[in-house]
Amino acid sequence: MKKLIQLFVAIFLISGIILFALNRLNATQGYSGKNVLNIYNWGDYIDPELIDQFEKESGIKVVYQTFDSNEAMLTKIEQGGTTYDIAVPSDYAIAKMIEEKLVLPIDQKKVPNLKNIDPRFLDLSFDPGNRYSIPYFWGTVGIVYNQKLIDGKEPTSWKDLWDPALKNQILLADGAREVMGMSLNSLGYSLNETDETKLQEAKANLMELTPNVKAIVGDEIKLLLANEEAGIGVVWSGDANEIMSENENLNYVIPKEGSNVWFDNIVIPKTAKNVKGAHEFINFMLDPKNAAKNADYVGYSTPNEAALKLLDRDVREDKRFYPDKQVTDTLEVYENLGKEMLAHYNELFLEFKMHKK
Amino acid sequence: MMKRLKLANLYLIGVFIILYAPILYLAFYSFNSADNMTNFDSFTWDWYKEVFQDSRLLIIVLNTLVIALLSAAISTIIGVLGAIGIQAVRKKRIETSLLTLNSILIVSPDVIIGASFLIFFTMLGIKLGFTSVLLSHIAFSVPIVVILVLPKLQEMSPTLVDAARDLGASRLDVLTKVILPYITPGIFAGFFTALTYSLDDFAVTFFVTGNGFTTLSVEIYSLARQGISMKINALSTVIFLFTFLLVIGYYFLNQRSAMKLSRPEVK
Repeated sequence: MKKLIQLFVAIFLISGIILFALNRLNATQGYSGKNVLNIYNWGDYIDPELIDQFEKESGIKVVYQTFDSNEAMLTKIEQGGTTYDIAVPSDYAIAKMIEEKLVLPIDQKKVPNLKNIDPRFLDLSFDPGNRYSIPYFWGTVGIVYNQKLIDGKEPTSWKDLWDPALKNQILLADGAREVMGMSLNSLGYSLNETDETKLQEAKANLMELTPNVKAIVGDEIKLLLANEEAGIGVVWSGDANEIMSENENLNYVIPKEGSNVWFDNIVIPKTAKNVKGAHEFINFMLDPKNAAKNADYVGYSTPNEAALKLLDRDVREDKRFYPDKQVTDTLEVYENLGKEMLAHYNELFLEFKMHKK
Repeated sequence: MMKRLKLANLYLIGVFIILYAPILYLAFYSFNSADNMTNFDSFTWDWYKEVFQDSRLLIIVLNTLVIALLSAAISTIIGVLGAIGIQAVRKKRIETSLLTLNSILIVSPDVIIGASFLIFFTMLGIKLGFTSVLLSHIAFSVPIVVILVLPKLQEMSPTLVDAARDLGASRLDVLTKVILPYITPGIFAGFFTALTYSLDDFAVTFFVTGNGFTTLSVEIYSLARQGISMKINALSTVIFLFTFLLVIGYYFLNQRSAMKLSRPEVK
């Protein structure tokens, strides 16, 4: 009995000490004050120095939290119980949030730095007129290939993936829209196609690809490609940039038939308590210097035209991640096809996944 | 005989290598000056410095520890009382159905429990954060404590309690002087299991964190999307060493008290 009492007294004492330490730490960080900004962003998706800088300049304390998928973030915001002032969803999630009235409109007068954004990336289908969202980073879907493993057969188009010489060499990212989009694009169709015959054609086309497909994988695709487990991967450009820095045999190409362009935009969720601070933060992130610093740290493509000029020359002129207008004109944003169509896409993708070699 | 012993030792060594290799591998690369795990550049302390300078990460580590300690302690108290209650039920049918209900909570998937808690807390209007995480950790630890304490109670001979009552012990005396000392090993087992459950739970915690309060498992998971930073390696190494020292400390304390107990007998 004595031992038990000792144990529990010790535990509550230690907890008390930790709670006290936490309290002090939070206080020195200013988290307990009134003027706080809650940010909900992807993991490791901002330069931490920028947060410090923003806190100094504005006097607002930032509470920073992270999520790992759009769906996870949506659930948290939909349910309420949180007070996020800033969130950074991707294009299709934004469309969904607007539809379900989960975001507040952005007062563009309060974000004068919006003028720095390249007009190519404004007024897109998921948020016409950018009433609710401001571009943060963008990228494409494309092909990563390993020059060493597929000697000489450097792909330039989706069609090249169907080359019989690439038997068992391709890794695909596990996304219905990505894989179906790839097949639709290779046939010259839009990746937002809803015509049934064209979709069936795309599926049949995918079935023919099966001998070349080594695996359909999730996030581990980065590791597998960097470790040279396969010669080709269909990935997002942000991932591509990351693995290319780890393995110099790798290269990235945006297929010439066109592909998907994706966006991660900043929004103000309806749960926001500090709307004024949120606008200040958005404007701060749109400042050319800050945006350039952030792009440097994160490594994704910035939509900020003025910031681009401040980046290193070999980054700025890298056509793989900052393609010219002719290329971006061939790219499409995923449109919200509606629940039914999306289910159909998933079903077709599933049939492809189950197809035997 | 000699040969068989060697084979057994080899097998044991093999098992331990498999168990410890991933952790050692991770720890090894925490000293890597390059920011990936593919090749080792040169030795550096930088990642450790970064961990201790990052006050946000420090707050998260402390959050995790305090939640684990408090939830384990509280759920142990609730669980022990629950186990005693279940044991005291006279009707066999009710006892088994209570136990079944308890087991269902253990085997039901964390994701479901987490999602239910999220909906429940928001319905009640409890703000997500410290309270919601603590409550849900207590909730999923209680059934485990019950399961670990119950066998000890069943092992205890009912005549012990009868004898105590015959000698004039009150109900409280029976509880504190007979039952609790007898089941202490079970209580300790329950406490430490609850502690580890709370430390590494991701699925439930993920749903109920919010408003600036988060724990290590959730943070590492969202960091992992960008590839694990060596900072995480350094942090994991520190935590591994910390638990290692705790276990060794606990072992020596036990040894000392065991020696104290055995000394009079030797004399």
